[in-house]
Amino acid sequence: MFEKIGRAVFKHVSPILSDKAALWGKNAGRTGDLFFHTGLGKVGFAIIMFFVLVALFAQFAMPPAEGSVERRMLPSSEHFLGTDQDGKDIFSRIVHGTGASLTIGFVAMAISMGLGTVVGLASGYWGGWRDEVIMRINDVFLSIPWLVLMIVIAAILGSQSFGSVIVVIGVTGWSTTARIVRAQVLSIKERQFVERAKAIGSGDWHIIRRHIFPNVVPLIFANAILTIAISILSESTLSFLGLGPQNVETWGRILENAYDEGVALIPERSLFILVPGMCIVTVVLGFTFVGYAMDEVLNPKLRKR
Amino acid sequence: MILNFALFRVMPGNPAQLMTPHKPGVSDYLYWRNVEKMGLNDSKTEQFGKYFYQTFTGNWGVSFTYERPVIEVMGDAMTWTVLLLGISSILTFMGGMVLGKIAAMRRGKTMDVSITGFGLFFYGMPIFWFGIVLMVIFVGELNLFPPALPITSGVKPFPLTLDKLWDITRHLVLPVTTLTVGSIAGIVLIMRNSLIDVLTEDYVTTAYAKGLTEKQVMKRHASPNARLPMVTTIAMDTAFILGGAFQVEWVFSYRGIGWETITAIDNKDYPMLQFIFFIGGVAVVIANLLADLILVKLDPRVEIT
Repeated sequence: MFEKIGRAVFKHVSPILSDKAALWGKNAGRTGDLFFHTGLGKVGFAIIMFFVLVALFAQFAMPPAEGSVERRMLPSSEHFLGTDQDGKDIFSRIVHGTGASLTIGFVAMAISMGLGTVVGLASGYWGGWRDEVIMRINDVFLSIPWLVLMIVIAAILGSQSFGSVIVVIGVTGWSTTARIVRAQVLSIKERQFVERAKAIGSGDWHIIRRHIFPNVVPLIFANAILTIAISILSESTLSFLGLGPQNVETWGRILENAYDEGVALIPERSLFILVPGMCIVTVVLGFTFVGYAMDEVLNPKLRKR
Repeated sequence: MILNFALFRVMPGNPAQLMTPHKPGVSDYLYWRNVEKMGLNDSKTEQFGKYFYQTFTGNWGVSFTYERPVIEVMGDAMTWTVLLLGISSILTFMGGMVLGKIAAMRRGKTMDVSITGFGLFFYGMPIFWFGIVLMVIFVGELNLFPPALPITSGVKPFPLTLDKLWDITRHLVLPVTTLTVGSIAGIVLIMRNSLIDVLTEDYVTTAYAKGLTEKQVMKRHASPNARLPMVTTIAMDTAFILGGAFQVEWVFSYRGIGWETITAIDNKDYPMLQFIFFIGGVAVVIANLLADLILVKLDPRVEIT
């Protein structure tokens, strides 16, 4: 289906824009097709779309949670999941928290990927002692348990605000990407077209931009999506431990409040903690599915199976 | 092969930074007394120098909150954590490998789908949430009791009576289950993928053609080769499992290293934190070293660089 759209785009666009852009459209179409052929892809995508829509339309559908109602109410027809310790409706908190959690996950991923890609590209391309040094540093980051690392970085940079928590998560996760990117760069570097480009005197930057980078992108695309999943999980963990943003409603914070209330031991209120958790699990699952599907489609090494 | 003792040098760096802002909300006089006592009065370099010296002479200072030497506090905590981690790790790795193997062997059939399904499901689940869910479910039963031992002060594991053993086991059930299930997912998925990769190799088909039974092929050709990437992954996963252990400890009030860490962060108990990070770093370095050594033994193609 997407291929058809892609081809149509190609036909109409190519006279106007460059051939390259049109070709890009067609290939994107075909990728979309392959992607949606996989069961995982469809399910994952549906899940993500659902939550994105919830996030976007939260304002209109429900009033934002206000601390006005009676505190610690049990679930009722008015408040589907009861109210929390400040009197806010829990269901509403979850709905509104969707946007925050998703955004944190996404932006943190962007930071992670950005850092990781740049480092990987540089390291792989330069080689030599610079590569060694960078890789050692990378190993350090990889070896430290991520939770410990995250806590340390949170302590140094402060994670109590929306912005800083994103930075903290982003900085914790760049190592894997850097590794993957570097490996790919190394293998591409040896290929003939790079040699030829150098032979005719192309500058380094030019080579990276036009030859190496485009070959790296598909590989990291799947990695990016999985990173979003991990970022969302990280945020919830940080918040749960008390290190999360204090000024923004996220799912992690709902869990934090719930646990502090000791809700786990009070059966009637247990939905307080169960539902946000399920939301996190579902969203992460969605991204994981999509990530796997993307991997199948885009990773050339997996095709042969 | 990566021998990163550079890690040692990085670890002390971070806690030293942590030591900077410390303003207890007490009267001025007390504050300065504390500052003097904690040695914050010295210049940064002096502090750092002292830290280095003390570390190597085994003097890790006194914990702020507990007013006991850090080593004492951590000694107890470490025993419990090792217990939890030990049992859980063994179960995770063995179980994970077995399940992964089954899934790979019956690829596409119901068994595989269900195992992989479970794997994916638990892969994306925040471990602390899962722990809470278990707590909610088992609230009625006695398994729920918080940590390692009832806090009747002075009740130590030694002398070890049968009563105490039973008590400890009862308390361990939930934490171990949580940690194991949470970690097993990753192992299962990787093992399965690794094994599938191996099974599609030519030499496996050859083995079957030669007339070997499935069991023989698996034992002598497939499994050994599949295990190689596993080992490296397990090494890297140790960090991941450690993070999980922290969460589990905290959720169940299980007074191990993880719990102490998080409490220490809340209380800004720097000496504790310094020690913890140091130990953490050492542990990971050792784990990686071990993994490398095992890899060398298992794979005849690898040499020590």
